Amino acid sequence: MTGIRLENVTKRFKTVVAVDDVSVEVADGEFLVILGASGSGKSTILRIIAGLEVQTSGHVFIGDMMVDDYEPRDRNIAMVFQSYALYPHLSVFDNIAFGLKVRHVERDEIDRRVNESARQLGISEVLKRRPSELSGGQRQRVALARAIVRQPEAFLLDEPLSNLDARIRSSARIELKRIHQQLKQTFVFVTHDQSEAMTLGDRLAIVDHGKLLQYDTPQQVLSHPLNRYVASFVGSPEMVFLEGNVEAAGTAFTFVEGPVRIPVRGVGKPGPVTIGLRPWDIAVGRSARDGGLPATVTGIERFGSSDQVFLDLQGPPGSLPARGGSAVAIRAMVRAYDFNVGDAVWVGFDPDRALFFDAEGERLESMSLLNRLP
Amino acid sequence: MRTRRGRRWIRLAKRVASHVVLILACLFALFPIYFIAVTSFSALPIASITAHVLLPNPSLLTTASYNAILFHQSPSFLSLLENSLIFAGSSAAIGLALAAFTGFALSKFNFPGRRAFVYFILLISLFPSVLLVIPFYFMFANLGLIDTYLGLIIPYSAGAVVFSGILVKNYMDSIPDDIEEAALVDGMSRTQAFFRVLIPLCYPVLGLAAFLAFIGPYTDYALAHVFITSSDKWTLALGIYTLNSSDTGSMPYGLVTAFAIVMSLPIVVAYIVFQRYIVGGLTLGAVRG
Repeated sequence: MTGIRLENVTKRFKTVVAVDDVSVEVADGEFLVILGASGSGKSTILRIIAGLEVQTSGHVFIGDMMVDDYEPRDRNIAMVFQSYALYPHLSVFDNIAFGLKVRHVERDEIDRRVNESARQLGISEVLKRRPSELSGGQRQRVALARAIVRQPEAFLLDEPLSNLDARIRSSARIELKRIHQQLKQTFVFVTHDQSEAMTLGDRLAIVDHGKLLQYDTPQQVLSHPLNRYVASFVGSPEMVFLEGNVEAAGTAFTFVEGPVRIPVRGVGKPGPVTIGLRPWDIAVGRSARDGGLPATVTGIERFGSSDQVFLDLQGPPGSLPARGGSAVAIRAMVRAYDFNVGDAVWVGFDPDRALFFDAEGERLESMSLLNRLP
Repeated sequence: MRTRRGRRWIRLAKRVASHVVLILACLFALFPIYFIAVTSFSALPIASITAHVLLPNPSLLTTASYNAILFHQSPSFLSLLENSLIFAGSSAAIGLALAAFTGFALSKFNFPGRRAFVYFILLISLFPSVLLVIPFYFMFANLGLIDTYLGLIIPYSAGAVVFSGILVKNYMDSIPDDIEEAALVDGMSRTQAFFRVLIPLCYPVLGLAAFLAFIGPYTDYALAHVFITSSDKWTLALGIYTLNSSDTGSMPYGLVTAFAIVMSLPIVVAYIVFQRYIVGGLTLGAVRG
């Protein structure tokens, strides 16, 4: 039972900075998900924890031990690889038993523990087979069993679900969560799939270009993203962004994009600003009472239980309707089958949920919508 | 209906045609061996053998040539075979071990000049080994290794490393790094991971490499001829040559062919032994797919 701590870890490959001054502390028994696009450095962070890569600077602690100079085998962690990396020349039993044999665990003890973990993962039937005779889901379970059987200090998982069919991926996800709850051990899980991250993680670490952008609970990351990259990366469907300028007239500020004008407040100064809204925080109605901005439905994506409508925002009531191209395209989540393409609707934003970002993509905490639209 | 039947005929015709071609190719490859086999069992002069080959007359078949080379030759066939097996066997063993380490280093370690080194080895393997006979001779003469077992085993093993090292490297390149890393995380040192995970995965290519490392020294004439002077260290390849240089004036075809047949038997055995490794595809299914 051990936590993991990274202190100012940097990794350079020749000229490329793969990990840039990352500090993270994973509490004992916590499930940390490192989320990032491919090439963001997320796997490198995991490999540094495992000892498969050595950081250029900074320190890694497992429990209270600084393990910078430890070989992977001395760190007592288990890792599940994206490719599963099973030993093709060994049976499933020997694959799982391998780490125990290397550590000279007694034969009876090996038998007992291998059978126990195989039972836990439902692969008792295939212990005599070779990895090549298994399905993808079974291989993934064998990889997991191989990690569990060692009773390591912590588990490192490098996109272990990404090679599974969509059909079994969600059940594998639930199972992984169950195993974590059973073992109550520290898990570090790397993925590029934000929905995987949201459902599995106690905490998320979002990385981009080797930098840690935000480290928080899934709820906080979703509702209070620190910058535009995080805001757009997390949440599905993706956040809607209105990219415009704030114009000042005396003490009144107005956000302007194309024909759209939205009064805002805050200590902001005039200049480029982006407003971010979750599609489910955008209200769509049939009358002006339901929202402050007129819009036209241009497309609908039906998910079954709800629809995502694609809208062209027009100018404020009374102004001329926008002509082709100048309208602002947004998306909103609505009840299934409420609207059809071509409908004229009214759109309202929740002022408590609208996020503001500056030109660099950093969050502007000081700004908000002036009032509820309408 | 008609077109379907037509298509079936075309498929049949294609199959017949491809089999005819394959059978012809087989005959082309096997006929020389057949020719040698028939010649070895006959005591006829070379001029009349051709007719005999096409229509063997059972009453003219004889094992006299085999009798002569196996039991009435000096140095004895057994001594020649023993020497050949010593040279080829130990060169294959040493060469194989070195090739495995070479392949491992070139495939899984990153060190400056690695690519250049690979190209260098490839470049070396382009030169015919006969080119090296004279420089080797001077070098080994200085070291006092001429006419010793070690003096031949060293260059033979080195030759195996040059060729098989690259072979093993290419094969190891196809084994994902993940598998080795899984072994490291599982509690092994790199050396342990090499012996317990990578080597077993490389059996197919190591089998092939061992086979090739055996064939080379076993059939070598040039190097052995220059390095070995005393007849008690002669190999089979040197022995077959003495048959020809006997002072009868004409080529003793019966003896030479009988010798060739017996000499090729260990190679056939070696091939049968290693074939399942050569054909095997152990890494399939190691990763996703």
